[in-house]
Amino acid sequence: MNILDIRNLTIELDTSAGPVKVIDKLSLQLAEGEIHTLVGESGSGKSLLAKAILGFINPRWKITADRLWWRHYDLLGLNPAQRRIVTGRDMAMIFQNPGSYLDPNHTIGEQLSEAIPSGELKGFYLRRRTDRKVRAERLLHRVGIKQAKEIMQRYPYEISEGLAQKISIAMAIAHSPKLLIADEPTTAMEPSTRAQIYRLLGKLSASQGMSILMITQDLTTMIPNSQRTSLVYCGQLMESGTTEQILNKPSHPYTQAMLEMSLLDQSVAPKSRLPTLSGAIPTLQNLPIGCRLGPRCPRARRACIQTPPTTRKKQHSFACHFPLSEDE
Amino acid sequence: MTKLLEVEQLSKSYRHKTGLFSGTKIVALEPLSFSLERGETLAIMGETGSGKSTIARLIAGAEKPSGGEIRLNGKPLQATDYAERCRNIRMIFQDSLRSLNPQITVGKQLKEAVRFNTNWDAATQQQHVVETLRKVGLLPDHYHFYPHMLSSGQQQRVCIARAIVLAPQIIVADEAFVSLDPSIRAQIINLILDLQQDMGISFIFVSHSTEIVKHVADKILIMHRGKMIEFGPTQVLVNHPKETYTRHLLQTGTL
Ligand SMILES: Nc1ncnc2c1ncn2[C@@H]1O[C@H](COP(=O)(O)OP(=O)(O)OP(=O)(O)O)[C@@H](O)[C@H]1O
Ligand SMILES: Nc1ncnc2c1ncn2[C@@H]1O[C@H](COP(=O)(O)OP(=O)(O)O)[C@@H](O)[C@H]1O
Ligand code: SF4
Ligand SMILES: [Mg+2]
Ligand SMILES: [Mg+2]
Repeated sequence: MNILDIRNLTIELDTSAGPVKVIDKLSLQLAEGEIHTLVGESGSGKSLLAKAILGFINPRWKITADRLWWRHYDLLGLNPAQRRIVTGRDMAMIFQNPGSYLDPNHTIGEQLSEAIPSGELKGFYLRRRTDRKVRAERLLHRVGIKQAKEIMQRYPYEISEGLAQKISIAMAIAHSPKLLIADEPTTAMEPSTRAQIYRLLGKLSASQGMSILMITQDLTTMIPNSQRTSLVYCGQLMESGTTEQILNKPSHPYTQAMLEMSLLDQSVAPKSRLPTLSGAIPTLQNLPIGCRLGPRCPRARRACIQTPPTTRKKQHSFACHFPLSEDE
Repeated sequence: MTKLLEVEQLSKSYRHKTGLFSGTKIVALEPLSFSLERGETLAIMGETGSGKSTIARLIAGAEKPSGGEIRLNGKPLQATDYAERCRNIRMIFQDSLRSLNPQITVGKQLKEAVRFNTNWDAATQQQHVVETLRKVGLLPDHYHFYPHMLSSGQQQRVCIARAIVLAPQIIVADEAFVSLDPSIRAQIINLILDLQQDMGISFIFVSHSTEIVKHVADKILIMHRGKMIEFGPTQVLVNHPKETYTRHLLQTGTL
């Protein structure tokens, strides 16, 4: 059962070059308790998609979709007040840059205690206060912070970026959300801490049936037990499938290029020049027509100035005129 | 022959300025020693707060050590020979846009560094800057661009241009690749490998990416809670790590 169902979502923004479809007919499904990794380089519209799901939207954006459903709610049909209630109760987000979301004037302990929902606490003031502290400490332990007591005394400027990221994850999971959207939460972390956070997120997803939409730039920083993976480039969905399929049998040239560039292909000799897509990601004002990967795609041909149709086979879909064949 | 860079018993501690622990000492770096040869690449890895950036800042001269010594070509680097140090050891930061001056064109920013450190005439300075831009894959036209007119990859190229414009012996980069997109990052890594081959620059970089470290580093230095727990050639640390922590760090990053 899909708990989140997005079909042909389009987000149009006004730019100096006129209206631009920053997200162009993007479809994405998320099952209950599933971890779905969304991979895309900067400007691909990942954060905008997250905002559209959470309802953090600017009234000037033109958002259309054949379907944008969360559980039994038609999100585009709800009024802002209803939407805030649904988001607040069911969803949580971890941001790209956690340091800037922590209040510099309060200790970590104070801010973490705030995030704990009052409904779960019992007894009188003092009892509740100690209870909050204990829970805050437990949350820190759960995200792999060992010296919880000491860290709670500190102010945000006294902790490193990696630690700040763990703390923001602790805050996000404090009310046990059903959907967690993580927007590049581990970019500044060393592999073992990242692995620890991923294990934690994997466990939370399995034990509490929490679905996770994991947004990342890069195929190397994905949760190992993520069931599905989608790749998006300049607002267009390139390929979506089971993680296994994406990593081992990609059909789309972009997926193939991302695997090579990320050094996941063990055949690249140390110190040799890496394979890469030439050129740069286009700006919003200069998006190519048709397939937006066109100018950088090694397989591009004339047909690519037409938007490629989406091929769908069961769990797998991709949009390309000249996909990789089975034996490539 | 003397080594390019020798770090001996280098240490650093800070004092808490506020809060409950005001006045108490934080040891960011316990005494550590290592060395680097010409044209070599050293990667510094370790968990968050382990002291990686502290080492980078001390080598680049952005901060003073609490103890120990850093020698370049056998000569101790003191805070006093600041100009020479600036010329020989250059730093690239993670946040490239913020480290560039938004009010000044790319070319002028590079030319400033050249003007301060050479006695060349204006035309030679300008020519040298254009040549440096070309080396990092930018065009002569980019000389007149303001930083905000460039993409993040191009900004990172400008930072690299600024780092190499004085033909330094060492470039120190603290997580300079983290925020780059995979395609741009691969381009920048290729650029650095090329520059190293052409100019023989040594490169010290802090990175969390096991894949990148294995690909470009000759030596790896592993930090853990302010201590250097392992240091050696990449192949040795990857294949025969002494510490389980090293194995953990170098292997859990891969899928
Ligand atoms: N200016 C400072 N004042 C007080 N403590 C500091 C200061 N700078 C660093 N520290 C402390 O020194 C230790 C090492 O910090 P450093 O920034 O070198 O870590 P790092 O290894 O670069 O971590 P990260 O991976 O998060 O960047 C940390 O415990 C940090 O809190
Ligand atoms: N509020 C906004 N107004 C105008 N343009 C925006 C806004 N938010 C994002 N964009 C643009 O839309 C594109 C996609 O942005 P974003 O979703 O943040 O990308 P990603 O998270 O994939 O890096 C970018 O080109 C960005 O500059
Ligand atoms: S449609 Fe054409 S340009 Fe787009 S990915 Fe496929 S081959 Fe490349
Ligand atoms: Mg984003
Ligand atoms: Mg650091």
